[in-house]
Amino acid sequence: MKKAARNLYLGLILFLMYAPIVTLIVLSFNASKSRAKWGGFTLNWYVSLFQDNAIMTALYNTLIIALLSAVIATIVGTAASIGINAMKGRSKTILMGITNIPILNSEIVTGISLMLLFIACRVTLGFSTILLAHITFCIPYVILSVMPKLKQTNKSTYEAAQDLGAGPVYAFFKVVFPDILPGIVSGFLMAFTMSLDDFIITHFTKGPGVDTLSTKIYAEVRKGIRPEMYALSTLLFVSVLVLMILVNASPNEPKDRKTFSKIKSLQRGLRLAIPLLLMAVLAGGGAFYYFAGAKDTGSEKLIVYNWGDYADPKTIELFEEETGISVTYEEYETNEIMYPKILSGAIAYDVVCPSDYMIQRMIENDLLAKLNLDNIPNIKNMDSIYMEQSRSFDPDNAYSVPYCVGTVGILYNKTMVHEPVDSWDILWDSKYADSILMQDSVRDAFAVALKRRGYSLNSSKVDQLIQAKDDLIAQKPLVQAYVVDQVRDKMIGNEAALGVIYSGEAGYTKRENPNLEYVIPKEGSNVWIDSWVIPKNAKNKENAEKFINFMCRPDIALMNFEYLTYATPNKAARVLIKDEETRNSKILFPNAEDLKNCETFQFLGDDVDSYYNELWNKVKSK
Amino acid sequence: MNKRKLLSGPYLVWSVAFILIPLAMIFYYGFTNSEGQFTFENVLAIGTVENFKALCLSLLLSLISTLICLILAYPLAMMLSNMKVNRTGFIVLLFILPMWMNFLLRTLAWQTLLEKNGVINQVLGFFHLPPLQMINTPGAIVLGMVYNFLPFMVLPLYNVLSKIDKDVIAAARDLGATPAYTFRKIIFPLSMPGIISGITMVFVPALTTFVISDLLGGSKILLIGNVIDRQFQQGSNWNVGSGLSLVLMIFIFISMLLTGKYDKNGEGGMF
Repeated sequence: MKKAARNLYLGLILFLMYAPIVTLIVLSFNASKSRAKWGGFTLNWYVSLFQDNAIMTALYNTLIIALLSAVIATIVGTAASIGINAMKGRSKTILMGITNIPILNSEIVTGISLMLLFIACRVTLGFSTILLAHITFCIPYVILSVMPKLKQTNKSTYEAAQDLGAGPVYAFFKVVFPDILPGIVSGFLMAFTMSLDDFIITHFTKGPGVDTLSTKIYAEVRKGIRPEMYALSTLLFVSVLVLMILVNASPNEPKDRKTFSKIKSLQRGLRLAIPLLLMAVLAGGGAFYYFAGAKDTGSEKLIVYNWGDYADPKTIELFEEETGISVTYEEYETNEIMYPKILSGAIAYDVVCPSDYMIQRMIENDLLAKLNLDNIPNIKNMDSIYMEQSRSFDPDNAYSVPYCVGTVGILYNKTMVHEPVDSWDILWDSKYADSILMQDSVRDAFAVALKRRGYSLNSSKVDQLIQAKDDLIAQKPLVQAYVVDQVRDKMIGNEAALGVIYSGEAGYTKRENPNLEYVIPKEGSNVWIDSWVIPKNAKNKENAEKFINFMCRPDIALMNFEYLTYATPNKAARVLIKDEETRNSKILFPNAEDLKNCETFQFLGDDVDSYYNELWNKVKSK
Repeated sequence: MNKRKLLSGPYLVWSVAFILIPLAMIFYYGFTNSEGQFTFENVLAIGTVENFKALCLSLLLSLISTLICLILAYPLAMMLSNMKVNRTGFIVLLFILPMWMNFLLRTLAWQTLLEKNGVINQVLGFFHLPPLQMINTPGAIVLGMVYNFLPFMVLPLYNVLSKIDKDVIAAARDLGATPAYTFRKIIFPLSMPGIISGITMVFVPALTTFVISDLLGGSKILLIGNVIDRQFQQGSNWNVGSGLSLVLMIFIFISMLLTGKYDKNGEGGMF
């Protein structure tokens, strides 16, 4: 009876631990790209996973970084533990205190402070800085797992070994080492796991062209996580699980000696094979890097810094083929994460793709170089509406060339909303309590409230902002959640009736759930433009201009449009769209009339920015 | 003996370069304004109504999660420590294994489970039971914290409990102590280092998290981690962000002192 209760409890806890894991495994066989909908069984993601070079490279990087940092951290950490163990009193307390800092400090603080350090020391961010950062937060885990084992060891045995003539090193390896080995192994495992799972610290310390699985996944969040990631996680998980079972499982009753000894020797072999396997991964990765590096030398280069998953990879390959310029492609997830990296000048990016207000801020802070338009003849393909709109942040069209454009509007579910939707007011209608999704970013949320009252979304008038704040507070009880990227999945899954969303998502969400409809409210909205710019410290400015010109070519812009589903400002590309409905879509390609009340965001200065943040904090904390 | 101390030399250099100097930079940012002048403003920003409320809420939610973790983990650790040795290694690994799936993916998976039309509510609907409102509540945040940090409570507890000499317990029984009394007088006091280190390992990350409250709380509940994260990522105001992080560090130091007091020998390690 007691045993049954015990097993039940154990089962419950394991169920809690593994419910999300099982969910992810199921999602990896889901034919629909949305996590909110089951679209039938498929193995496609497993196939496309192995064809995806970017993911496989990220996997290599992740494993190599995890392995190297775990190995180095284990060596340094074990040595440190022995040293600390020999210490007494205050110096021991201080060192143990320092050891606790990286474990207990919030990751974002560790990440940013390490980035500041690397920049201050003029170390180029890249593979090695990630490694240094990972070793730093891995060592404490090793120390914390080796120390207790060291304390348990009996000092007299070590002394006895020395009395019997063993040298200190020999005595250590023969007497102490076997005792603390379990601690070292679990420290190594913990370090490996922690390194594998880290995102924030990696993001701030990584350089161009180096991606780990975590940074890839986070870059993808904006456009929806690709199911290949679920497939990869499943494979990783299953292989580790199988490995663990093989190493650990021991036959309970040795029914016949032969099979028992067979299994035992198999296990012994496996224990040997794992380090060998890891070495192989390391060597393979090293060779891989060597060849990847060899490809780069001697030819023209270009470092692109773009939003996550924001260009068809094929267009980049085509560019490389046609021009012979080798492209290093780097991704970020928000303007605000990109900005400090450019500001610090830690990496000389050649082309970046920020949004409107951020371009203005970069121009004001003298971070951008003027474009030589003679090198970008294809700019003639741009729709004049968007060149006009661009002047609000780039007055002479001198710094930026539009890449993707769109509006912000309301996505609603026709089965839940039975009245015409044409105004932001509906987001304040108590009928839809708990069925409204708002954007979780300061400016987007305030834009909705300001526009609803007929104010400019770039307002810096205190009374208007306070009114907007009060409106947002009044709206809060009706709001189901403040989200950024999950509007898409939640609307597809019928979780909410109304959501504030970018027009580029409208096509995709409608395809997955035909009951959804997108509208730009009559009071006007935000029209956003993401444009190519060249930072002042770019080392390959001419190549960058070649790249921008290439991206403006109608056939290339069309490829990107089809990949992204975000509207292109490229008139010539739009003509090439085959599907008539898409080509004439008012959602994707609004005319001047539709956009008459729409504005782009402007950078309002640090003071107004913090005022917005302060008011937003008030809304969120109610 | 002194030669052995030298072994910690590399680590000492390392920790000065990559732990202490970056920490000093946070102090510098925390106590200066954007023009580089000395100020207390950033640290005092914790005193505004919103930030203070966020701090209190974070403290409350992380305390609740820590308590739930302790209650769940203690019996579990006792069961594990009573198992046969070669099986426990495997079972302990079972608790680290989920970490091999990306943290963000795991938390997103909880969303799929808890949503209005999520897996759990669909199962309830199948049995004609009324649906539950789970996502975007403080409860969901607590669940996320418990789920993510439970292993950090189980491992130190398991570690201290498995080290308790079985003969001591047997002796207590022989001398007529009831199981409850044995637990109160022997097992519980001996497991104190593990409890303290488990509490620290759960409480501190729960206090500083922002991803869990964003994904499972629908961003409607503002925790101090979200405030700091926004200062760094949206407001680009590193000075205030650093100032607030310094305030959080006070709690970290308190828990470090507690660990130092109850766990003098470092027995309550993770492993």
